[in-house]
Amino acid sequence: MTRDAVYPTTSPITPNLRRDAFIIVAAYNEGPAIAEVIAELRRDYDNVVVVDDGSNDDTADRARLHATYVLSHAVNRGQGAALQTGIEFALERGARFVVTFDADGQHRVEDIAALLSPIAAGECDIALGSRFLGQSENMPSARRWALKLAVFFTRVVNRVRLTDAHNGLRAFSRRAAERINITLDRMAHASELIDQIRASGLPFQEVPVRIRYTEYSIRKGQSTRGAIRIVIHYLLGKVFQ
Amino acid sequence: MSLNLFQVLALIVLAALLVVTVVAAARGWASRREAAAWSALWLIAAIVVLWPGFLQAVARALGIGRGADLLLYCTVVVMMVGFLMVYVRLRRLRREMTLLVRHLAMRDAFVNPDRSRQA
Repeated sequence: MTRDAVYPTTSPITPNLRRDAFIIVAAYNEGPAIAEVIAELRRDYDNVVVVDDGSNDDTADRARLHATYVLSHAVNRGQGAALQTGIEFALERGARFVVTFDADGQHRVEDIAALLSPIAAGECDIALGSRFLGQSENMPSARRWALKLAVFFTRVVNRVRLTDAHNGLRAFSRRAAERINITLDRMAHASELIDQIRASGLPFQEVPVRIRYTEYSIRKGQSTRGAIRIVIHYLLGKVFQ
Repeated sequence: MSLNLFQVLALIVLAALLVVTVVAAARGWASRREAAAWSALWLIAAIVVLWPGFLQAVARALGIGRGADLLLYCTVVVMMVGFLMVYVRLRRLRREMTLLVRHLAMRDAFVNPDRSRQA
């Protein structure tokens, strides 16, 4: 395969993208939703990597039905750790693009191509999904304010101007993925990731994506109290790294 | 010199601790350096129990009113440093655990059999 295969920006999913993009799904106790999410991803992409993060339910078994690869953490290590495992595995398998995708079905598979197209076109190395550039269905207002606060936090602490700092849908070129090393195991990895993106010096873009807030994804999401814990965890991580 | 009941009990406990420390070092459960540090602590405690005036004198030299206050301040500082050390060590342990778990997950990756039919 030549290094400069052509990725036209117009057609959503070229055969090259289908083969070269590895979709990483970190899943912890997502048994009820995972099979459907993975099946949908597999229709468009050949390489779907599920990292089962020590789930207590049948997440791994259900993931095996459709996923290309299933990696299992023997004990729960948190979403940041699971994503890093998936990224390293994808790079080892020759991924040219790495995409992170939430397991609870809140993202739309169509949005992946929108994230990949500027990277494939060489416009940037990192594309971050933003629900505030796009539309979101049924976003609870408490969630909206917590996320806005997170954006403000990102502007002050990470010194990056983003419209949505904590969206699980992200795409990386291979060289960007190689520079990412998530060390904060739990949810604070989202802020750590932004630090690393900024430090990498690689160009990034925000791309509008649509989030589906279903009863399931809201229940599985962060509580406000959880968000406060994340902030503390992230700041401690900055001090004691 | 006559000892009061507290002094007798405290000295018995300290002597027992010293014996445990020496035995631990002899059997290789603790390093010599660790054993020496703990032994020194027990000996200092014994001195303070036998001659309370010693602690009082040190406290006064530092401008602290009572020996008991000096003891309290020292305890707080030692415990805080202890907590910090445990916290840092715990973080490192978690980090190492993650790397181990990742290594195993990647080594034992499940590859879907229908993967071969594609491409």
